[in-house]
Amino acid sequence: MSLKSSILKKSPWVFHLNTGSCNACDIEILDALTPYHDAERFGVKLVVSPRHADVILLTGPITVESLPKVINAIEAAPRPRIIVALGSCGSGGGIWHDTYSTIGGVNGLLKILKEKGIEVDAVYHVPGCPIRPEALLYAIALIKGIVSKKREMKIYKAE
Amino acid sequence: MSIKPVKLIVIAGKKGRVTVKYPFQEPIITPEFRGEVEIDPAKCIGCGACVRACPPNALELLESEKEIILRYFVGRCIFCWRCVDVCPVSAIKGTKNFELATDKFTDLYTLVVHTRATCELCGTPAETVRMRRYITEKVPISEEYITTCPTCRKKQFAEKIAMRKVGISELKK
Repeated sequence: MSLKSSILKKSPWVFHLNTGSCNACDIEILDALTPYHDAERFGVKLVVSPRHADVILLTGPITVESLPKVINAIEAAPRPRIIVALGSCGSGGGIWHDTYSTIGGVNGLLKILKEKGIEVDAVYHVPGCPIRPEALLYAIALIKGIVSKKREMKIYKAE
Repeated sequence: MSIKPVKLIVIAGKKGRVTVKYPFQEPIITPEFRGEVEIDPAKCIGCGACVRACPPNALELLESEKEIILRYFVGRCIFCWRCVDVCPVSAIKGTKNFELATDKFTDLYTLVVHTRATCELCGTPAETVRMRRYITEKVPISEEYITTCPTCRKKQFAEKIAMRKVGISELKK
């Protein structure tokens, strides 16, 4: 059974993991769960333990202080585990991409996880500063296969 | 104390449905909303003004021997639109696009590849071809010295001074 079909059959339960963010993306996650946007239409449920989660919503640029706890939380999530890196900080490091106290977003984390032998089945990047609740809904719909991917790598040749 | 269920149903009935059907309808966006920026490759001259202005270094200039590449990494962009303000040829335009979620990291890149011009005398790589054309249009007198690099320009100037003072070029010996 492929990853996509296994996720499609059940509801993606999400675990909200703050790794040192400014709380803007966190508020937008809560906004997406309110009756106005209502992410629960897609079966999304916010759970309190990573052991119950299918999807980990990762916000923040992953500070060095929070790194051991982040690794523990991701290790605790059962397979197949999906990480959704939210915001500019989560997906690319944001303004703090080269500071001494962060590891620069989810790409730095994936290298460390690979060294430790923790496998992650899929990583979704959701840019935005902060993300709109609609952007999060779009990402969830993308995971479930409701909408198609719009963004592609573009290479232009100018003379 | 607490609202009775019957009362609650009445309130909910008056309010009606509030949930938006977002992925199946157009998103509601305010006119002030700032989304991803779009680089027009037909206009861009590769000057690097946007690179200087960008707070999180989402725009970067990658220099190699023959090419200068302007790389836009939307995963790090904070959508401040400073690049839109500083661009001298208004090649960068702001859009309202926010549906950028991908499962592949490389999808977030936009590359604009520029060809590099070289110095006529020593052959070291200089600014882009477009940049040279833009400068010549703006400052016509620069046509005389634009094809040489600053080091060669200094040497030429020193030679000219030597010719005037001594009558013969000392640097050529």
